[in-house]
Amino acid sequence: MSEPKLSRRAFLQQTGVAARSSLIALSLPMIMSASQQARAAQAMDAPMKALQPDEAAEFAAIAARIIPTDETPGATEAGAIYFIDNVLSTSHANVLPELREGLAALQASAQSTYGSASFHTLEPAQQDALLTEIERGSFFNTMRFLTIAGTFSLPEYGGNRDHIGWKMIGFEDRHMWMPPYGFYDADYAAKGE
Amino acid sequence: MAWASYPTREEVDFVVIGSGAAGGIMAKELSSAGFSVVVLEQGPHLRPGDFRHDEWNYTQTEGLVWGSRKGHPQTFRRYEHEKAELVEGAPLGYAHNVGGSSAHFSGNFWRLRPIDFIEASVRGPIAGTNFVDWPITYEELEPYYTKVDWEIGLSGVEGPWDPPRSKGYPCPPMPPKSSGVLLERAAKKLGWTAYPEPHAILSQPYNGRPGCIHCGFCNGFGCEVGAKSSTAVTMIPLAEATGKCELRTGCTVSRINTNEQGRVTEVVYWEEDGTEQAQRAKAVVLSANGAESARLLFLSESSRFPDGLANSSGMVGKNLMFNGGSNVSGLFAEPINAHKSVATTRVIHDFYSIDPKHGFYGGGGIDARSLSRGLPMAAAMRGGIFSGARWGSAYKKGLEQEFTHTCSFNGHTTSLPLSTNNVTLDPEVKDKWGRPALRTTFMNHPDDFATMKFFMERSIELMDAAGAIQKTASYSEDGQRGGVHLLGTCRMGNDPATSVVNRYNRAHDIPNLYMVDGGSLVTSGRGQPTMTIMALAFRAADHLIQAARRGEV
Repeated sequence: MSEPKLSRRAFLQQTGVAARSSLIALSLPMIMSASQQARAAQAMDAPMKALQPDEAAEFAAIAARIIPTDETPGATEAGAIYFIDNVLSTSHANVLPELREGLAALQASAQSTYGSASFHTLEPAQQDALLTEIERGSFFNTMRFLTIAGTFSLPEYGGNRDHIGWKMIGFEDRHMWMPPYGFYDADYAAKGE
Repeated sequence: MAWASYPTREEVDFVVIGSGAAGGIMAKELSSAGFSVVVLEQGPHLRPGDFRHDEWNYTQTEGLVWGSRKGHPQTFRRYEHEKAELVEGAPLGYAHNVGGSSAHFSGNFWRLRPIDFIEASVRGPIAGTNFVDWPITYEELEPYYTKVDWEIGLSGVEGPWDPPRSKGYPCPPMPPKSSGVLLERAAKKLGWTAYPEPHAILSQPYNGRPGCIHCGFCNGFGCEVGAKSSTAVTMIPLAEATGKCELRTGCTVSRINTNEQGRVTEVVYWEEDGTEQAQRAKAVVLSANGAESARLLFLSESSRFPDGLANSSGMVGKNLMFNGGSNVSGLFAEPINAHKSVATTRVIHDFYSIDPKHGFYGGGGIDARSLSRGLPMAAAMRGGIFSGARWGSAYKKGLEQEFTHTCSFNGHTTSLPLSTNNVTLDPEVKDKWGRPALRTTFMNHPDDFATMKFFMERSIELMDAAGAIQKTASYSEDGQRGGVHLLGTCRMGNDPATSVVNRYNRAHDIPNLYMVDGGSLVTSGRGQPTMTIMALAFRAADHLIQAARRGEV
């Protein structure tokens, strides 16, 4: 497994921000290097295995509201849709019919509410309003499960590109750590208790 | 080195069913004593190099724990008059591989204390329960706990509450994590004592194995360097080196056959491709765990043993105990990074026995851990603990803050043994081999609930003393729905009318059948039972070897 190009900590240090603060507003271009952006854009055109292109656009739009792109990258840049397509063509093929049914219902409600059956072309606020209505239902929760899995699993499954999910939360997949692990044990070592 | 190889129709001295915490030790001890041994293991033989930090695979697709997705469904119900429901996943969780659950455990190794063995006589009986003394004492088991320390490989330091021990630990304790420091400092403020958690994980090289590299993927994962002291890397290689032990993986036992004299004669099993085999043996050691051993005894019923093997007491499968628990999670100002290194580095045992004046029975310990096992995907699935949001920008911001800045103080508590909490055969649901699925019936005793709540309250006090900015607290108020500590289902005792195995783990009803696993435990202890399961295995093996040499098996 390849190491992340730049650890979150190193990144924060480089940008001169205190590493301990975790609620820092950073602009997307700062986080994504040009090559990363190019790769993400290129990957979006890769063919799907289980999903039709129009379905993929809709599911990707849902994923983008679950883990949105705001000050930092989200499910879109992580390529969660490629993970979703991958597992729907393999280990989780059995949930595809249920997802298609759920999508049809969502599109029907998009049509009746906003006059467009295409979810991904709606405004984010409209998308959020529709998703809020179904957020306790099984369709939304399956989409939430797959989006999160696609953002935080090993990149070899298709998502979590450039470890975007892991960097988001401050996780680094190293095979070895040495103390100090965090602030308090460093302080403990310094003070002797 | 080469494994021994025995023809199935030739009688070997022992067949050991299961290669986990107990089975691995039995295999090593018996083969080292010169006996011929065949070990049957359902799962594969995974080596340290086979294990990966692959959360998706381990928790959602293949993984070490087989549930319904791998053809091993389980059912669950609260009470015996109800119909059990098929449950997604595995309510009784155990790893299917050489080393069993000792390959994927967190390695927290607490000894029982003298009180655990005599608690019923000290406290008095508890109405409606099967709470009784053990047939053995702490003093009888102590030499075998020490054997576990040194032969399995433990890291720790003698703590202020430790029961008497004949020898120290072979390796020093793990370096403290931030979560452990928060617990220790909070305990000090409250006048309690936190001390280093003992681990079956090496803190430095020992017995030819490397020390821990603190990668953080212990709980639910296998150790990539072999620092975790599973029987797969401690006992199994020694068993193999004797040249007297044959390990057969991918072998699922269907039944244990008995003859007209009521003795065990052979073990019938399927190889991975479905080929049926039967291995003849002079004696059988059943170490399939507290759930599977009971199931196999039921499946081996015959006209002579209509209620299952070794079940004249009716106690097989009963008294299922998981250990209770509570969880208090806190958000802190500075990074904790609880996902790094071992699960826990500090534990509090000031409440090992709750004062009876509280009006209920119970006790336990509190340790400091990560949330969601420190796994990024699991943390994100759970998400929004303090933000409250399950999706969207608020959810994402919550995750950014919570993953590195949280830890939890977890209670690990007693469970009372009840006849109504048990493992039986499901009348309808079958596994991939056509065997009846494991059916769990379980509802906690009121004292279990009171104990969990007590520990949650102490953990809240600790979390406040630790300076958490925000906190959440919970315990299984509706009752536990499964567990990974599978205890009590083949209980040990002196009276054949009320127990399944004798004080040496020999079946009361069948002289050449031994049950050695978590099922033997008479009471639950306070959590972390594997240390005791292993000590009982070393002790049972010691006795079995002597009995076999005298020709008494």
